[in-house]
Amino acid sequence: MPEGLSGQPLRRREDARFLTGAGRYTADLEAPGALHLHVLRSPHAHARVLGIETGAARTMPGVRLVLTGVDLADAGLGPLPCPAVVRTIGPLVVPDRHALARDRVRHVGEPVACVVAETSAEARDAAEAIEVSYDPLPAAVDGRAALAPGAPQVWMQAPGNQAFRFERGDRAAVEAGFACAAHVVSLDLVNQRVHAAPIEPRAAIGRHDAATDSFDLLLSGQSVHNIREQLAGPVLGVPADRVRLSCPDVGGGFGLKNFLFPEHVLVLHAARLLGRPVRWVADGSEEFQAAVHARDLQGTARLALDAEGRFLALHADMAADLGAYCSAFGPGVPTNSISNAMGTVYAVPAVLLEVRGAFTNTLPVDAYRGAGKPEANYMMERLVDAAARRCGFDPVALRRRNLVTAFPHRSAFGITMDSGGFAEALDAVEALADRAGFAARRAESEARGKLRGLGLACFLETARGAPGEWAAVRFADNGLVDLALGTQSNGQGHETSFAQVAADRLGLPFESFRLVQADTALVARGNGHGGARSLHMGGTALVLAIEAVLGRARRLAAHLLQAAPDDLAFAAGRFAVAGTERGVDLPALARAARDPANLPDGMAPGLDAEADNPSDLITFPSGAHVAEVEVDLDTGEVALVRYQAVDDYGNLVNPLLTEGQVQGGLAQGIGQALMERVVYDPDSGQLLSASPMDYALPRASDVPPLPVRFISVPTASNPLGVKGAGQAGAIAAPPTVMLAVLDALAPLGVSALDMPATPERIWKAIHEASGGGARPPA
Amino acid sequence: MNRFSYVRATDVAQAAREAGAPAAKIIAGGTNLVDLMKYDVERPGRLVDITRLPGLRAIEDAADGGLRIGALVTNTEVAYDRRVEARYPLLSSTILAGATPQLRNSATTGGNLLQRTRCYYFYDVGTPCNKREPGTGCPAIPGVNRIHAVLGASEHCIATHPSDMCVAMAALEAVVRVSGPGGERAIPFAEFHRLPGDAPERDTNLGRGEVVTAVELPARGFPAHYTYLKLRDRHSYAFALVSVAVGMEMDGGRIGEARFALGGVAHKPWRDPEAEAMLRGQAASRDLFERAAERTLRGAKGYGHNTFKIELARRAIVRALEQAAAGTPQSQVDKRIR
Repeated sequence: MPEGLSGQPLRRREDARFLTGAGRYTADLEAPGALHLHVLRSPHAHARVLGIETGAARTMPGVRLVLTGVDLADAGLGPLPCPAVVRTIGPLVVPDRHALARDRVRHVGEPVACVVAETSAEARDAAEAIEVSYDPLPAAVDGRAALAPGAPQVWMQAPGNQAFRFERGDRAAVEAGFACAAHVVSLDLVNQRVHAAPIEPRAAIGRHDAATDSFDLLLSGQSVHNIREQLAGPVLGVPADRVRLSCPDVGGGFGLKNFLFPEHVLVLHAARLLGRPVRWVADGSEEFQAAVHARDLQGTARLALDAEGRFLALHADMAADLGAYCSAFGPGVPTNSISNAMGTVYAVPAVLLEVRGAFTNTLPVDAYRGAGKPEANYMMERLVDAAARRCGFDPVALRRRNLVTAFPHRSAFGITMDSGGFAEALDAVEALADRAGFAARRAESEARGKLRGLGLACFLETARGAPGEWAAVRFADNGLVDLALGTQSNGQGHETSFAQVAADRLGLPFESFRLVQADTALVARGNGHGGARSLHMGGTALVLAIEAVLGRARRLAAHLLQAAPDDLAFAAGRFAVAGTERGVDLPALARAARDPANLPDGMAPGLDAEADNPSDLITFPSGAHVAEVEVDLDTGEVALVRYQAVDDYGNLVNPLLTEGQVQGGLAQGIGQALMERVVYDPDSGQLLSASPMDYALPRASDVPPLPVRFISVPTASNPLGVKGAGQAGAIAAPPTVMLAVLDALAPLGVSALDMPATPERIWKAIHEASGGGARPPA
Repeated sequence: MNRFSYVRATDVAQAAREAGAPAAKIIAGGTNLVDLMKYDVERPGRLVDITRLPGLRAIEDAADGGLRIGALVTNTEVAYDRRVEARYPLLSSTILAGATPQLRNSATTGGNLLQRTRCYYFYDVGTPCNKREPGTGCPAIPGVNRIHAVLGASEHCIATHPSDMCVAMAALEAVVRVSGPGGERAIPFAEFHRLPGDAPERDTNLGRGEVVTAVELPARGFPAHYTYLKLRDRHSYAFALVSVAVGMEMDGGRIGEARFALGGVAHKPWRDPEAEAMLRGQAASRDLFERAAERTLRGAKGYGHNTFKIELARRAIVRALEQAAAGTPQSQVDKRIR
């Protein structure tokens, strides 16, 4: 690894733009002549659509177009595809999901019709004039209940609402493990439905060029190439090269903006019909009811241990709520993504994961920060702590006994972990936790009427996202160097971190680099952002492209200096003939390379180069976290009073950015542990948590300082030696915080508690543990 | 959005006349009404803007030693007014416990009184609601009702009043001044808001065309022994699950005048005169406070998800009374509950 900017906590180059209001988001962009699209959505969770009367709306002022599902069918638009590949037992049922519902609506917020008008207000007014006759039907609202006999049926082709059955692992080995176990713990766990809630709502501007029959979609997205794949052929029926997608600044995604949405289809189709740009910006409540939700996994998890506490077998039997449709990667999250991380940092010889996917009359569920890994880690850490408590093991000693310590380690599912500092992180966090002093802190809290708890959890992330990535390095006329990558920043700081990588390797000033991203016209291919993949997938592609550039530059330099390529040394951006003063720097070479007269025979002009990183290797970030909480017994209020992370992300390109990524993830994980939950009315299927008022995201006063200590165990799986850091906090915080809450409540006999640990749930748990009648000690 | 006409009233008489028209609605800060209009919960045909009415924007000393707060004084202006801070810190504390600085800068005193419930079903026009559409039913009673009322509810409605400020005004025994077709009148705070009964669509006892012009605070402000304890799902920008405003006068360890009101548990700020009477003249003790809490909640009824609020309210009352008696009010700067 070259010395230089890599590893430096540089402040983000993009921040000046963001902090001074100069960021440009989709809704900020001008689109001269653009019309406005508004979507009319289903007010019912489940209903037959008997008819849609659009006559009045069509004659309203400013209205240029009204579309219904029938219009889209007549136009031959295909359903939104579900590209997830899951090895299910029997078929994976993927019902047609059209951009506008046809004869039936299946969740509150499902698009039913849309209006395109000269102004947004006119479009909204006209949408109100559309009369839809519905015949409401009973709704299936909860994943586990939907799979039970007698539940309302969401889809004819999915009897019993089962979308799939998935099984991975060695059932016989797991049964044998449980058969010979000295201890077995079994927990019923709910990883509740949550909403990613990026601060910038989704937005899109669609254009169509009739002369070439080509489309242009500007959107707030995370993955232009993948969305184009889903959109061009399957829905629009045109080759991908006639569809351009690009994103300006994006205000957060967390997974949610990786997917093709009905509104993308609508703006493009309307633009084609009307010959004018068409724009759509979601409002806040639309995001809660009509983007995607996440998690929503419930079921039983069991762990078998021998008499010494060694883990023998792990078994999870889960119901995954997919919502009303299979969103793009919806079926992949509770299956493939969870199974990669099953058993997490522990050596578990036998593992079995069984999942049934359920259709319900709710918004589809898809990937969100961690996607499957939070679920796998949450169940594992809950099991380990429950085992320690019930069987009398020290929770840290029990973890240490079962940690993977020898690498490479091949998991029960055949996944090879190349490196990790699991034991090192656990030792470090145990020391920082000051467990010895906890009894005194607990007594001090008790003196103030609070129950104090300490939770310590390990985590494993299996970071990769989509395999493979592309990058290019291009020298511009003005001396700047464009770094084009197929990954995308939606706020992470790629303009800074990739420039650090390139500056060190090319020996050019940090300021000379410009990031080119999120545009299918400027970036040949790529997989966007998701799965904490940008640095190890995209960074590797960038390193390969830089190496290709340097190979060309060396050849040219040798030609110009009349030396053998191998006699040149490259340092600080300059090729020099070893042992002499003769040399040439990279900007001069870039200029020279433009003139064919300067080039050796057979060399094409320019130094530009691109590269594909073919890697499909997973990186394995990990760590150990500790939290302390105080629970107010009178009110059930939880105060998170202390948090400490000790994490391994391999080499750090920019520790400031890594720390920020971890802390942001922790805040979201703390939100899931303590306050966030998407709530549908169990009878009507109405969304009750449909605004930031009713869906509690944590605010500054809910989050304590979040110190992160790094241990760095580089991986050899990529040339940067880095591991993906973006999701870890959202994976680690839920178990860490919940174990602290459970530790606080343990003296009262509470062992069952689901997220979010709101005052109400804490109070109920105390109440139930005390036998239901007696009031808990105050 | 629903179409509506707009008029800016220039004096109170005009505002009252305009507001008396069917489907007319008064708008001031707009922090609640505009949201409700966006969600189609409120569909006024005419908005009567009273923000330019003269004389309603001042906080004035009253002859009896009290304070008169004009209906258009913003929540921020009330909370940070030096006289309010010194003489009615309970009122400042409740206001600062609510909403966000941006909202408080815009929300008015009169508007705060007239806030509508935050019931999920009231806000969701896809569901029935007796408050929104009388006679259609109440899905909250069998539904998800964790934020709903445990006191004074009816078979037609279990919504709560969301205001923090009003909880203090109830305890302070404020008086609401209104002006309308029948002239001016004063409404004691306890009679301003209503219980839902069989007409949950009516939040208050304001008559048609009546405009709130001021709130008068009596001289007694409990500046030494008070607290506002607000329990909620997160520390800011959240409505109360249960809140308790207490004002007390202490003579050594003995309680003199004592008042407390609950928020988040009923269709109006909830006071129980019998429970307050139990406190007067007694030595402050946890046992006494527990008995007062029991008395307050003797008629409480849970509806499933919200049953926890009965016990939560009991404990919150005890703690709030202890805080007030000890002169250690709950901080609204560091909102963590002590």
